[in-house]
Amino acid sequence: MISFNTDEIVRNLPELWIGLQYTLVLVFVSLAVGTVIGLAACLGRLLGRGLLSTLCTGYTTIFRGIPETVLMFWLYYCAPLLGGVRPSSMAAALVAMSLYLGAMLSEVFRGGILAVPKGQTEAARSLGIPEVWVWINVILPQAFRIVIPPLIGVAALAVKVSGIASTIGVTELVYQANIIAGQSYRYFELFTAVGLFYFMILFPMSMLAKRYERKLAMRTR
Amino acid sequence: MSTQQNGETIVQCTNVCKSYGSFVALKNINLNVRKGEVVCIVGPSGGGKSTFLRTINGLEEIDSGAIVFDGITIPGPSKNVRTIRREAGMVFQNFNLFPHMTVRKNLTLAPMRARGINSDDANRRAERLLNRVGIGNQIDKYPDQLSGGQQQRVAIARALAMEPKVMLFDEPTSALDPEMVKEVLEVVRELAVSGMTMIIVTHEIGFAREISSRMVFMMDGAIVVDASPKTFFEDTPDLRLQTFLSKVL
Repeated sequence: MISFNTDEIVRNLPELWIGLQYTLVLVFVSLAVGTVIGLAACLGRLLGRGLLSTLCTGYTTIFRGIPETVLMFWLYYCAPLLGGVRPSSMAAALVAMSLYLGAMLSEVFRGGILAVPKGQTEAARSLGIPEVWVWINVILPQAFRIVIPPLIGVAALAVKVSGIASTIGVTELVYQANIIAGQSYRYFELFTAVGLFYFMILFPMSMLAKRYERKLAMRTR
Repeated sequence: MSTQQNGETIVQCTNVCKSYGSFVALKNINLNVRKGEVVCIVGPSGGGKSTFLRTINGLEEIDSGAIVFDGITIPGPSKNVRTIRREAGMVFQNFNLFPHMTVRKNLTLAPMRARGINSDDANRRAERLLNRVGIGNQIDKYPDQLSGGQQQRVAIARALAMEPKVMLFDEPTSALDPEMVKEVLEVVRELAVSGMTMIIVTHEIGFAREISSRMVFMMDGAIVVDASPKTFFEDTPDLRLQTFLSKVL
């Protein structure tokens, strides 16, 4: 039986903390950029016609259909062959995650908007309210409520996906743990700790989503 | 009970046609409504009553024919539909109140966004109208805190807040529990007495008979009978209407 040496974790906490910070940067930046891309793609698909709508549909289909790992590798190793400039591992990871999460979020937003009952838009339009305000005052606020639980889901996904950035050398949590463990051969302690860190971030998120879903279910109208 | 029999025409529908694929929903509908008239449209389900009503404010596009609403024609430039919608209040079967807004906000949104009325005036108007429909004390509640009947009265007040020239009712009591039908019909009756021009699609035949100045019978997408209530109920030569009335009266 292997001994579990907690000192090994405590001793390396500063290094792991650096990793966690990189993880959080990856998550927050890619979620923020992904939200902008996702909203644009979703509205382009719902309101746009012809080419714009096709492009937006194509974007979501393609990036939802490529594994994040492949996307990240491709941007880091293959994109330089086309453009000549090699992106930093952080830049490649951020772009890959933003594109991937943008595609996921686009679908979440679209689902939320389509879930707003048709009677709501009809009532707003029948009152002569200009289309912009129909969206701002009637459709989007209601879609937003519907979308909160899946949105938390995508945020949790972002946390998990960020671990893949370690494979192209971003010094986030998994990378740091791997480096430290490689020196001391204390994989057991370090990856148990890393698993716990992730769990401590993700578990409250899933609880929050559950609680909100219950609240939504109670208010049916 | 009509107040103005010979007012000028405010809604004129000419040869209105609409199909969904191979299903013909509206066949050459011709209907003129004059100011102050209360036109009740009755008929079997699936006969095109609601579809027709929804063409008047452009919620359903028509395939051919024309609708002239207070001098504005559809089909026409896209701004025409919005102009008509500002002047035609609509009340839906399922109320369609905005659930994320208080009653007050439900009533002030359209006057502020579509008419550019300031918040104070919109609020005063909302309070006055809610009192008129008998629920002034519910102004700061959310729709889901109200009964069905109260919600529909809010919906009527919301439509009235735009000070429309015509009110369109699409089966306003069909989704209500029986004990709440009366309170809504009372509000509609009060509107009729006040001289509001109204087109009402309803299954409440007795009520229609009481308040209408004209009765329309629609079936299979066509207007079969268009007559005064007296002729409609007592002296119709049309067999289909006779059959329908014998079932519902």
